Amino acid sequence: MRRRRSEPGPRRLAAWLLAPSVAILALVVVFPLLFALYLSLHQAEPTGGGITLQWKGLANYTQFLFHDDLFWPAVRLTLYFTVVSLLIELALGIGMALVLNQEFRGRNWVRALVLLPWAVPTVVNARMWQWIYAGANYGALNGLMHTLHLLPPQVDKVWLGFDVPFQSVPILGALMGWLGATDALHMIIVADTWKVTPLVTLLVLAGLQTIPGSLYEAAQVDGASAWYRLWHITLPLLRPIILVVLVLRTMELFRVFDIIYIIMQYSIRVVGVYTFEVGMKFLHFGAGSAMSFLIGLMILGLALLYVKMLYSEDSY
Amino acid sequence: MKRLALALALVLLVFVALSPASLAKESLNVLYMAQAGYQPDDIRAMADLFEFLTGDSVNLTFVKYDEQHEKVVASAVSPVATYDVILLDLIWTAEFASKKMVVPLDKYITPQMKKDIAPAIWDAFTYDGHVWAMPFLANFQLFFYNENMIKRAGFAGPPKTLEEMVEQMKAMKAKGIVKYPWTDSWNEKEGLVCEFVWLTGAFGGDTFDAHGKPVFNTGAGLKALEFMVSLLKEGLANPKCLTNDENAASDDFVSGNAAFTTNWTFQYGLMNDPAVSKVVGQAKMGLIPVAKAELGKSKYNTASVSGFQGAAIMANSRHKDLAWKYVRFVTSPLVQRAFLTEMPVWTSVQESAYAQTIDKTLPIKSKEIASVHHRPKVPPYPEVSSILQRYIHQALEMKMSPKAALDKAAAEINAVLARPK
Repeated sequence: MRRRRSEPGPRRLAAWLLAPSVAILALVVVFPLLFALYLSLHQAEPTGGGITLQWKGLANYTQFLFHDDLFWPAVRLTLYFTVVSLLIELALGIGMALVLNQEFRGRNWVRALVLLPWAVPTVVNARMWQWIYAGANYGALNGLMHTLHLLPPQVDKVWLGFDVPFQSVPILGALMGWLGATDALHMIIVADTWKVTPLVTLLVLAGLQTIPGSLYEAAQVDGASAWYRLWHITLPLLRPIILVVLVLRTMELFRVFDIIYIIMQYSIRVVGVYTFEVGMKFLHFGAGSAMSFLIGLMILGLALLYVKMLYSEDSY
Repeated sequence: MKRLALALALVLLVFVALSPASLAKESLNVLYMAQAGYQPDDIRAMADLFEFLTGDSVNLTFVKYDEQHEKVVASAVSPVATYDVILLDLIWTAEFASKKMVVPLDKYITPQMKKDIAPAIWDAFTYDGHVWAMPFLANFQLFFYNENMIKRAGFAGPPKTLEEMVEQMKAMKAKGIVKYPWTDSWNEKEGLVCEFVWLTGAFGGDTFDAHGKPVFNTGAGLKALEFMVSLLKEGLANPKCLTNDENAASDDFVSGNAAFTTNWTFQYGLMNDPAVSKVVGQAKMGLIPVAKAELGKSKYNTASVSGFQGAAIMANSRHKDLAWKYVRFVTSPLVQRAFLTEMPVWTSVQESAYAQTIDKTLPIKSKEIASVHHRPKVPPYPEVSSILQRYIHQALEMKMSPKAALDKAAAEINAVLARPK
């Protein structure tokens, strides 16, 4: 009897202990989300002392999906940025993690050093690369190219230019133009990848350390080559980690804003920049909220796709 | 229980003692930009003096120009203003006034004040028949040239017309004096519209008509964009202009990588500062040249663009009277006379022997300020400007012809302006 009476005790205590977190989450996550959803169904414009609202139903959503000249180009551009960045980050991250997983002298130092770019705040990273790419005589990259005699002294390359790469190649050039890819976008991909690859490396390294050494030993006994071991042991067992990296980075890359806005303002109109422009510059709070939800839905769709493709119950 | 009551009473007493009503002095929150115009140290010095004279306190918040708009909007929609006084760029006059975010200042402005500030400046802050900000910064663009490069190219002095300027630039390029003689801020930002506005003025027109309708896609506006594109095509303008803001364009000029540019008044100080400039003594400031066909059509044969900023009072401020006192003080002729780092807005100060002795460039500035062209005063200005920026930039990237780009911009702007409010 006594035990039964004391059972609700810990549960109630747990509920009480969780209550502050739930309240905070409701206040800073649930309420703003519901309010944004409410705004997205209205024409919402700020005015002195408040916001004026006019019911619009799904018109904000249909406007972007079917009638807006900039929305789909922004989606294409963002997808290109996301896919190219992800491929580079994954390739570099897995490669670096494989190296850092080997035994060598000073490995801990190298592991710590590799993490440094991740510690740089995004705003600082953006400003730093802006100076590296600067076209005038203080641009570090042009300075380096001059020192190495890769560029004539009087020539400064415009790294953040608007030329479409492979323009002269028949189909590829047209595709690049359609996607909105420019030199500047690629330079920003380099800048962003430099900062984020350490995170991917760290996650993959953590995944590598959970793979039992006995699997490799058995494979070696069977005469499997290094390439075979990578392809048939390492990569399949890294699938859960790769899934985490893909979902996490897709979310971050698809809603990229800061680095692009700081370096290029509105010249590279990815969906994050366009949402900010509509919501905060043009002050259409309703339309801006609708676009935020559309971006959220797209990311959700991509995440589900990844889970379907990569999730498996395999264990070892 | 008694102890609890006592503790509560004590807490209440402290709150009452510290409540604003019990404090004799008021406190003002002011938003200002840390970029062009008066620098933060000057603004702090003005506020210190105001605090000393009135006993009230002034809390200053400095942000970059681009961050001001959203901060003002966030402050305006809340029940109580975060900022009592803000810096209002002339392009926001219609928007903030129509949304009732700032208060009209007509009741404070005397006929004497009206008379002593040029109508072009008042006009920038007038919307719907009311004045919404007190003129504070008389910013506008000027012409900057490298006299040394002009002489080396075999010319006697700075160009009077755009055609002469092109001729000088071609000679400089041919003689290898400078790779790209022209630099400017043509990145996809507000600065690009400013450049387009003065160039349209230099070809004898305006970008919008008196009713706020776009007219830039024919005549002067079209010639202006064609001129910009031709500078890029002929290799006279630096290709990096397309990613330059005003600071980057200024860097190009002061580092000796350009012979000509236009920029805001701040560049004069920079180019004469040996710590940052390689062109001290070579760089000069003058009047912006106009097209040859426009010579003799305007009083001073020049055209510029206005970047005036005023001090405005937020509609939800709880300290409007004190806010006006502060605005009146920092914009007063007395304070502007003491801080001549910026062009004074008061005619009496501009013409005073004292100011002319201190600032030898005042005669040039007075002529240029009298020749400014405004950007349009329409409530959805940020949207209008964004469309214009996008299409001008497309033309500069050579992805559209100037005519097609401006026609498309005009059509989209007309659609935005026709939208029900």
